[in-house]
Amino acid sequence: MNDNTMSIPHLIMSASTVVQLVMLLLVVGSILSWVVIFQRSIALRRAKQEYNQFEESFWSGVDLNELYREIPADDPRHGAEHVFQAGFREFNRLMPKTRNADSVLDGVQRSMRVAWSREEDRLTQHLVFLATVASASPYIGLFGTVWGIMGSFQALSMTQQATLATVAPWIAEALIATAMGLFAAIPAVIFYNRLSNEAARLLGKYEDFAEEFHAILHRNLQGRDGKPNAS
Amino acid sequence: MATDSPRDPQDVGYTLPAILAVAVHALVVVLSLISLPTSTAEPDSSSIVQATLVGTETFTDQAQQVTEQQAAMNRAAEPEVADPTPEPEPPATDTSQQEAQQQAAEEAAQREAQQEEEQRALEEAQARAEEEAQRRAEEAQRLAEEQAAESQAREEEAQRQREAEEQRAREEAEAQRQREAEEQRAREEAEAQRQREAEEQRAREEAEAQRQREAEEQRAREAEAQRQREAEAQRAREAEERRAAEAAEAAMQRQLAGEAEAAANAQQAQQAANSFINIVRRAVEQAWIIPPGASNAMSATIQVRLGPSGELLATSIVTSSGDSTFDRSAMQAVEQAAPFGELRDLPAEQQRNLRQFNLRFTPGDVR
Repeated sequence: MNDNTMSIPHLIMSASTVVQLVMLLLVVGSILSWVVIFQRSIALRRAKQEYNQFEESFWSGVDLNELYREIPADDPRHGAEHVFQAGFREFNRLMPKTRNADSVLDGVQRSMRVAWSREEDRLTQHLVFLATVASASPYIGLFGTVWGIMGSFQALSMTQQATLATVAPWIAEALIATAMGLFAAIPAVIFYNRLSNEAARLLGKYEDFAEEFHAILHRNLQGRDGKPNAS
Repeated sequence: MATDSPRDPQDVGYTLPAILAVAVHALVVVLSLISLPTSTAEPDSSSIVQATLVGTETFTDQAQQVTEQQAAMNRAAEPEVADPTPEPEPPATDTSQQEAQQQAAEEAAQREAQQEEEQRALEEAQARAEEEAQRRAEEAQRLAEEQAAESQAREEEAQRQREAEEQRAREEAEAQRQREAEEQRAREEAEAQRQREAEEQRAREEAEAQRQREAEEQRAREAEAQRQREAEAQRAREAEERRAAEAAEAAMQRQLAGEAEAAANAQQAQQAANSFINIVRRAVEQAWIIPPGASNAMSATIQVRLGPSGELLATSIVTSSGDSTFDRSAMQAVEQAAPFGELRDLPAEQQRNLRQFNLRFTPGDVR
């Protein structure tokens, strides 16, 4: 009997409407945050694998024109490949038009920065939602608890004998809201930190790659510029 | 770019993460539901102390039930004990003693039977407790805690036995007290019976004397009638005399009957009167503001007359203390304490007696 009345499903079902709404909100927030956690974890792992593959093929000594031609023009790639594609396409387009190496390198850098920024946007997508859940759900749960305890005290004023047994179920069901808020917030905090750190590291690698690619192009241009300058 | 992302084979869709997230929540809910029965099941297997505590509880309950049964049986036996003993006591004390012995023997037999029952119950409880203890000891063996469990069980058993002994001793003391109380009651009743009988004897003797006196008068009157048969006036006087004597006799008989009744009720009435006097005394004490100049040697007696429902009719000073403020304070105390509504609860005769009484006031006490 005691187990039955104090069990968590029973407490949730017998809570007041506001507390139940708060709980529903928290459950929805928790489910969505877990969707984001799984989605981002899988996406970041795949992006890392892809970057490793691309880096391997890039530094395997293959000709950059070959590498660029392997990427279909109508199939945009992601990650470092996208940065490389954008930079090399810009390089190829600018090369016939100008012989000034600095302007070519400027254009390449700009296009790569744009690609990088798009990659950043793609990688950190939805992570803000995790941060929101992490910071807001404890407060929402606390609101539910305060509301429930208010209700419990209102009901307590009606009763003639204020024993612990009359207050306990109310407070228990009010505290469930805080528990659910924490339940939603804790994984969100942990995975927000982990995922944002992973995304930042991946973006750092993209940036390093962009710099290296820029250095390669610069070396090539120096060689090409040197010939006309020398001749 | 945003439109490209669903087309991208690399990009992750949302169906799989959603399924996973829902699965995580379902798992948490299931775990929270499953954890409740396991948490309740744990204490059963874990500690020996708890289980034996439960055992002692049932034990004491059984003992209490036994004592209650005994008390109920004693209560049932009370009328049997009380009725026969007072009647035969004055003529033949032997029979009553025999009966008392018989009674005692019966009681002893009953007590023995109850004790046997109790013993059996205790033994059963002990056997049950021992079985449980053995089972638990085996569990403890499995847990390599055999020795600790055994010593604990032994200690608890000793404890239980000690408690049982104490319980038995307490029951015996209770039975002893009950028996003593019954004897006391029987003695009191016998005394009352003796008094009543003595009074009846006295009444009978008086009635006989009256009858003899009456017979003599009758004889004398007959002789007189024979002597003075011709005197009509004298006969008329004689008839008148006889009528008066008869009336006197009837009055005497009525008085005797009233006396017997009064004697029977005297004790009860006395008690009631005492309680009423006490109530009045306490009320007056509380209402009395002793004047500051009063010394312990002072004393004033106030006569109080009450109406039929306890209201104060009049107060008068019977013996003054010599100090008028003291006398007035005493009278004011009586006026403050009135009315004494408890008078109506008394029997009618007592009411008449208590309508007028004296109160003696001395500082520190009211008499």
